Formats: sequence, C-alpha cells, structure tokens
Amino acid sequence: MQAMLRDPKVQLALLLLPGVGYLLVFFGGPLVSALIGSLRLDDSSFTLQWYERIFTRATMLRGLKTSIYYGVAPVFVSLVVSVPLALLIRQSFWGRKLFNGLYKLPMAVPGIIVALMVIILAERGGFIDRVIAPFGLSLPKLVRDEWGIGVILASVWKQIPFMTLIITSAFAGIPEDIRHAARSLGASRLSTFVFVEVPLAMPGITAAILLTFIGSMGSYAIPDIVGPPSPRPLSVLMIFEFNEGRFAQVYAMGMVLSLFAVAVLLAYYALTANIGVSRTKGDE
Amino acid sequence: MSELEISNITKDYGATRALHPVSVNVEQGEFVTILGPSGCGKSTLLRILMGIARPSAGEIRLAGARIDPLPPEARDIAMVFQSYALFPHMSVGKNLAFGLRMKNVPKPERARRIEHALEICNLTGLVERMPRQLSGGQQQRVALARAIVMQPQLLLFDEPLSNLDAKLRDTLRQELVDLHRRIGATSIYVTHDQAEAMAMSDRIVVMDGGRVVEVGTPLDLYRAPTRAFTAGFLGQTNLITADADGDRARLPWGQIVVLSAPAKGTVRVSVRPETIAIQQDEAGVGTVTSVSFMGAHALYTVGIAGTTLKVSQAGTESLIAAGNRVSLAFNGPLHLLVERKLQEAA
Repeated sequence: MQAMLRDPKVQLALLLLPGVGYLLVFFGGPLVSALIGSLRLDDSSFTLQWYERIFTRATMLRGLKTSIYYGVAPVFVSLVVSVPLALLIRQSFWGRKLFNGLYKLPMAVPGIIVALMVIILAERGGFIDRVIAPFGLSLPKLVRDEWGIGVILASVWKQIPFMTLIITSAFAGIPEDIRHAARSLGASRLSTFVFVEVPLAMPGITAAILLTFIGSMGSYAIPDIVGPPSPRPLSVLMIFEFNEGRFAQVYAMGMVLSLFAVAVLLAYYALTANIGVSRTKGDE
Repeated sequence: MSELEISNITKDYGATRALHPVSVNVEQGEFVTILGPSGCGKSTLLRILMGIARPSAGEIRLAGARIDPLPPEARDIAMVFQSYALFPHMSVGKNLAFGLRMKNVPKPERARRIEHALEICNLTGLVERMPRQLSGGQQQRVALARAIVMQPQLLLFDEPLSNLDAKLRDTLRQELVDLHRRIGATSIYVTHDQAEAMAMSDRIVVMDGGRVVEVGTPLDLYRAPTRAFTAGFLGQTNLITADADGDRARLPWGQIVVLSAPAKGTVRVSVRPETIAIQQDEAGVGTVTSVSFMGAHALYTVGIAGTTLKVSQAGTESLIAAGNRVSLAFNGPLHLLVERKLQEAA
C-alpha cells in the first residue's frame, strides 16, 4: 500500500481524482446513461426511432426550430443592448455607481418570476396596457404570441445584466495604450472600436453569447408561461414527454439539445483560437 | 519658425496644477528629450502633444498649424509606447499597415513603406509573426516601425526602452540614434534616465514639478548647468556656497577660485567631481574619508571645512588611502547656479 502511494503514476491519478472524477461521475455518467437510454427500446434492443421522431414529426421539428429561435433571438437583442451599455458604463456619468449596482439585479431573479412579471406588465389588460389606455393606445399581443415576443422579452431582461457584465470586463481588459496607439495612428473613435476594441473583446463577447444562448435555449419556465401554446420548444416538449412516461424520448431530445450546445461551443473555440492578448516577455 | 512650438501649455486637474506654463520649441529634424523624475509633468506634456489629454490653456503649433484642438487621429504624430502597445490580434505586417490603412495610403505605397520600415528596424522575415511570438526587443522594434511607417511630422517616444533589460537597452538605444540620423524625423523622447537623455539628444528639456527647469544641449547642461536641479539630476555634482567678488570667489575653506561670470556676495556653484584635481598634501585642508576604485576612475569622498566633496580621479596609477590629507585644485572657471533656485534646491 505504502509503496503503491509512492508510485508517481498513482499519485497523479489520486491528485486528478477530485476534479476529473467529479466530472466523470456527475457529468459524464448522466450523459452516457442518457445516450444509452435514448438508443433503447423497452425490451433493451437498439433503436434510432426516438431520434427519428425528433427529425420527422412536425411538432418535434417545430420544437427544435423554436428552441433554436428562443436561443438565438434573445441573444441578438441582448447583444444590441449590452454592447452600448458596456461602453456607457465605461464612461463616467452622474449616478454611475448606483447604476452599476442596480443593473445586475435581474441576474438574481429566477426565470419563473421574470415570466410572471412579463405577464403582469405586458399582457393585454396588464399594467402597461392600463396605463396607456387613457391615451387611446393599446398594446399589441406580446404574451403567448405567435412570434414569442414575450419569451424574448423575458429572456432578454434576464440576460442583459449577465452579458453586460462579461462584455464590460472584456472591454476593460484592453490596455489603454492600445486604444491610444490606434488613435495616434489615425483611427477615429469608431474605427478604433471596430478594428481594435471589438476584435480584442471578442473572446469575452462570444463567451457571453455562448452562455446566454445555452441558458435560454434550455430554459423551461419562460417559454412554458409566456410562450405561445404552439409551437413549443424542445425543453417544454421534454417535460410533456416526461409526464407521459416516454423517458427514452426525453433522453433523445436532451441529447439533441446538448449536441447543439456542443456545436456552439466548438464554434466558439474555432472563433477565438487566433486571438490572444497574452504577451510573451522574453529577450532574444 | 520652429517645426513644433509649444507655447504656455498648462494642465490643471481640479485644483492641482500638473503643468505650469510650459514653452518649448523644437526645430525640424531635431531630437529633443524631455527629462525629469516621475511626476515632473513630462508624461502629461506627452499626452497633450499626442492629443489624448487636452491642455487647460496655451497652444501647440506643428509646422505652423495649430494642433491642440485636434483629436489624436487628425494630428500627424506617431508614438512609440513604453508598453509597445502592439495590436495583439494582428501580425507584424498588419500592425504596420494599420495606420496607413486608416490614413488611406494607396496599397502599393503601403507595401513599399512597410518593406522599408521592416528593413531599417531589422525586422525582415518577421512580417507574418504575431506580437506574442516576438521577444521584448523585437516587439519594441515593431512598435518603432509602426510609428516611422507613418512618416509623421513628429515622432513621440514614451520611455520606450525602460521595459527592456540593460544590455538590450544599450543596443536599442544605439539603433534609435542611428535610425534618427537616417530618417531625420523631428522627435520628442520622454525619459527619466539621464544617461539615455545625454547619449541620444540634440537638446534636453529638464523638467521638475510641472515646470521646465532648463533647456540645453547635453554638453552645456552637463558642463554648465544654471540650476541646482539640473546639476544634480544630470550626473553627480558638488554644490558649494562661495563668497564672490567680481570674477573671483572664496570657498568656505579660504581657497580662491575663478568664476565663469562676475558676481557679488554669496553664490552657489556646481562642481563636477571629475573637474577637481586631487593631490596628496600633508599641508592640505581636506581629508580623504573614503575611496572607491571603479576601474576607469577612483571616487574619493573628501571632508573639507565641515562639508564633503566628491572627487573623481581618472587614469590613476596609485590611490590615496582614507585618512590622508589632500589639497584640491579646480580646473577652469566654476559655473554659477542661478540664485532663484537656492531655496528650492535646499
């Protein structure tokens, strides 16, 4: 026993165990069992029928598209708000400190509360509708609407703080001298932003996109409460299948969602592989 | 008319004044160093020249045209940063092309200029490299090439050598001097390193506490500084109080010396250690308190009339041991320091 512990290979394995072991047991395990579960019939024979259903059934296909739509659309809207917001926070203005603290609050609010808030505020006959009614105005259908505007609103509300936080620090990580160098080489503020700051902040921006995309694509509460009755995203359909007891189908849908997440992750690595702010300081 | 005219530039941060009215003229093709300790206002002045800080008052003219209200990109000025400030996501070639692209220089012209800049900065063959694949010295040469490729009316250097190790610093300093001789760009070089300033500059602007203390060629400022601050900052010196009458003065220990200019009453003079001749003399008034042999010269500390003097003796065959009495002789007339600085230097 003592001798075995002195073996460097055993030592290495033991040292890696808490990290790698954790990942294997709590991440790899469920993933593998879901993969096996998704490829099985009740009599344990191999099948691809659960995957076939996802890619052939109309509700499932629309569910897949809706999932992607609920993942992508809020990211775009959030990005359009977060980037200018991140630039604004960098400036000094009156009340900046207060704003800096307040804008992060939505991160702490659970999705289900956000969904309910959107219903109370934006539904027809809701708060905003009643406020603008005396002026002869009325809200268009925003909740449970065909385009999922309510879902996008709720996701965006929840994502903006997180995205802004990451993007702010991505911009803050760019040394001031580099910005000044660009300006002194003839680049306007805008050109400096487009050609120097955005490329250098790209790893942070794509990380923010990735995390919010995966978060909203997989979210259940928001599309279930404020989304239209049809089409439903895969996450909502999964719960439906789960309640029906078709676990193999749930596994297969989970695998497809995970596959998308992995694809996005790989795209992220490919995009950011060439960008490195790190500098080697050595002499010839 | 000078190429660059800085007139009465001031900078206030709230109630604190970082720059008192500063006026400096730089001639076409001149290499001028702004020298001073940290916090002397040299970096503030550089930021104002570059356009990333606005002066509180005063004006700057470059080739006759006023530039102080212009944003950095509208000035024909390029800068070499202490931190190199290379664009880490662009190759060496793209770093060099960036400014030319921004200023809409036509492509064939761009290629020609980049080629030339790479060649004179010893960077040929590195054009495809990313900045992170380069050593510190190479990175600083890329930063230099990126500035000279712009062929600016004015080149600014912000302590470009201070992030490099001593040996590389000497090499690059020599390269910079050679380069300046070849391209002849009007240059302003900011540093706190007096050796660098003296080795490279046509003229030095000595700054302290947000003011210009003195301007002159390295030789003049070293040999005959008019301010105690300059004398002390540029190398070692002895500040001696003397009693002047005409072009003669009496030192505290009674020795009579010749002054460079006539004066009356109490004056102060700056005497470089190497301009004092030391001789062992049993009847002398000074006593050697310590001696350090430095190789090329020996440095003595001599106690005399209650003060200590530093004396440097070059090419000596034998050393005078501590405790021996010595006499001192002053070669040439002594240079007076301007009175106004008496209190400040104390």
